Amino acid sequence: MLRFGQFVITRFFLAIVTLLTVSFIVFTLMEMVPANCAERYLSYKSFQGGQISAEDIAAEERRLGLDKPYVIRWASWVGNVFFKGDFGDSCILRVSINQLLGQKFLISLGLCLTALILAYSIAIPAGIMSASSSNPYLNNSIRFVSYLGLAMPNFLLALMIMLLSTVLFGDSLTGLFSKEFRDAAWSWARVRDFMSRAWLPVFILGWSATAFALQTVRALMADENGKLYVTAARARGLSGRQLLMRYPARHALAPIINSLGFDLNRVFNELPIVALILVLTESGALLIEALARSNDQQLAGAIIFLLTASIVTLNFITDILLALIDPRIWKSIMGGG
Amino acid sequence: MAETASTALSDEAALAEQKRKEAYFSAGQLQLIWARFKKNRSAMVGGIVLLALVSMGVFAPFLSPYDPTIAGRDKTYQNGAPQIPYFWDQNGFSVRPFIYSYSRTRSAASNFRWVTSVDKDKRRYLELFVSGWEYHVIDLSLDLPGDFFDIDIQFLKSTTHLFGVTEGQIHLFGTDSPGKDIFSRTLHAIYTSLAVGTIGVFIAFVLALVIGGLSGYYGGWIDAVLQMITDAIRTVPAIPLFMALAAFLPDEWSAELRFLFISIILGLIGWPTLARRVRTHLLTERSQDYVLAAQLCGASPGHVIRRHLLPSFTSYIIVDLVISFPYMVLSETALSFIGLGLKDPVNSLGVMLQNVTKADVLLNYQWYFIPVIFFMALVLAFVFVGDGLRDAADPYASTKK
Repeated sequence: MLRFGQFVITRFFLAIVTLLTVSFIVFTLMEMVPANCAERYLSYKSFQGGQISAEDIAAEERRLGLDKPYVIRWASWVGNVFFKGDFGDSCILRVSINQLLGQKFLISLGLCLTALILAYSIAIPAGIMSASSSNPYLNNSIRFVSYLGLAMPNFLLALMIMLLSTVLFGDSLTGLFSKEFRDAAWSWARVRDFMSRAWLPVFILGWSATAFALQTVRALMADENGKLYVTAARARGLSGRQLLMRYPARHALAPIINSLGFDLNRVFNELPIVALILVLTESGALLIEALARSNDQQLAGAIIFLLTASIVTLNFITDILLALIDPRIWKSIMGGG
Repeated sequence: MAETASTALSDEAALAEQKRKEAYFSAGQLQLIWARFKKNRSAMVGGIVLLALVSMGVFAPFLSPYDPTIAGRDKTYQNGAPQIPYFWDQNGFSVRPFIYSYSRTRSAASNFRWVTSVDKDKRRYLELFVSGWEYHVIDLSLDLPGDFFDIDIQFLKSTTHLFGVTEGQIHLFGTDSPGKDIFSRTLHAIYTSLAVGTIGVFIAFVLALVIGGLSGYYGGWIDAVLQMITDAIRTVPAIPLFMALAAFLPDEWSAELRFLFISIILGLIGWPTLARRVRTHLLTERSQDYVLAAQLCGASPGHVIRRHLLPSFTSYIIVDLVISFPYMVLSETALSFIGLGLKDPVNSLGVMLQNVTKADVLLNYQWYFIPVIFFMALVLAFVFVGDGLRDAADPYASTKK
């Protein structure tokens, strides 16, 4: 058990190091952007009719701590994020980023995870079936669906659904809440309203995730099915579901769990665009808002960091989960036999 | 007599068989891949479609009858429906395909939409090789800030276009609201999207070769550090990061400069997957017996890399490049679609897709969706060819199944 604890701790530190690296990269990129926060904010102000001098900018820079060296600013940013969970203030909007993101980020994370779960709950049975059956119609139709998922990017699908529903039902199905619930406090009615609208983004986000997952599961199962131990089991008289569940499906499970993190990454990629089309007001759309409207580097950095952090967390969890359920990995950690 | 004939025949067959085997055993890697690729029907179809689309993109100025920019707009046919050429109608058959003349009116009765009435008795015939707007067959010019950086490669000035029509203009895919020809725009969009993809893939490829190569060749702590950075970048969701970078392109930049930067950004973010593959190839190949054999024979490291390692995986790298191409195109499209990538004077598939976001389009101007079909065909063709190449490049693919 001690060794397992060691394993968990090493993995944990690796995850932290990855996050630090990511935060450094994100911070550097945000830094490379021309004009810093002070200039940006003041030019935004001057746009509204004020006069700005160079001294104003310098004073604002001092106030925001922008005159300090780059590495120190990064360290204080990371320190605040890691120890206080505080992303600081948004550059243009001048409100706390935590407040701005808070619930929105959780909702979008929830949407993405649900989409992922949906994708795998379709892809695993369908993939196993298509890899193990010799029915050409089934195989071809599953192949067709997965190619369609690749060629029809989510944003196109979202667009089509939205346009069609506007034309057919007169309701564009956009937004996560109806008008009357948009700013209401959480209540049972609001949850119900949310559910009645959230299925669409979940479906759209899950669409190409399902296509990808289907291909992965199918390829893995096809690989395992051809192996000798499956033939041996078959020779012993096992067949059908019993055989599949007991041997190849178990082996194929490990790489699938391993790939979850990257699948989440893919879903996150789709999120902002789908969010934009469906006019969801969660972090994906907020990111576009932050970028396109106001060039808000702090907010953008915080969102990218949060997205990456959830992927790193998922990777960490799947690593631990794999060690627990896969005896091969378990043994290699515990040493011996 | 009959016996000798049959032995001669079998001799011949054996000889042919031997020749076939010899050809197989002495074939280069690319030949083997091509032989396997040919057998894959869906990949071949994808390849043909891809070839057609790429040549449509490359020869876009020649194939498109009108200037895809605002300069080439047809003021008399804004938001016009596609004009399909016919060979015959109730007035009889014609060897030369023709389209009809039309007249357009708009009034309060039609909610100020243009109403087109077709005059079926007045035919306009298609012509080949008509002269039209001026273009360069080879045009790689780029207008960057500062005269020094301008790339100005233009050859073969020409005004000949594949087809046109005797009088007025022909719009195979209709026109958009300013009156630009959607057919011409689509062809140019394919070119732009492919060009962005090519530059992006090229940059990603160079970075991947250098970083993956260093990592795979030296191993040890260099490998560990580089791998950590690669993995860290791989966990960052690419599109939000693209957006973050693309949003900061100043608005006053020219379309070409934007185009170049979008490509560079795509390349800068796309390398980690490729780099990992290069490293894995290098690491697995490095420990192969043939490398050891070469080393035992006294070959220098440079010789081993050049003569043994590089040829062993160039084909795989090519395959990886093809596979990563559609993602570049998709990313460009997505970026332009949300308005952070290329912008309107440039014709790219993403810019074209931007036009279809209104319900008005679905109800009244369905031909705006034609570029969407081309976009899907392009991505699908790349995916099919990539999959086919990957299967063909894997020497164990046939034994596995």
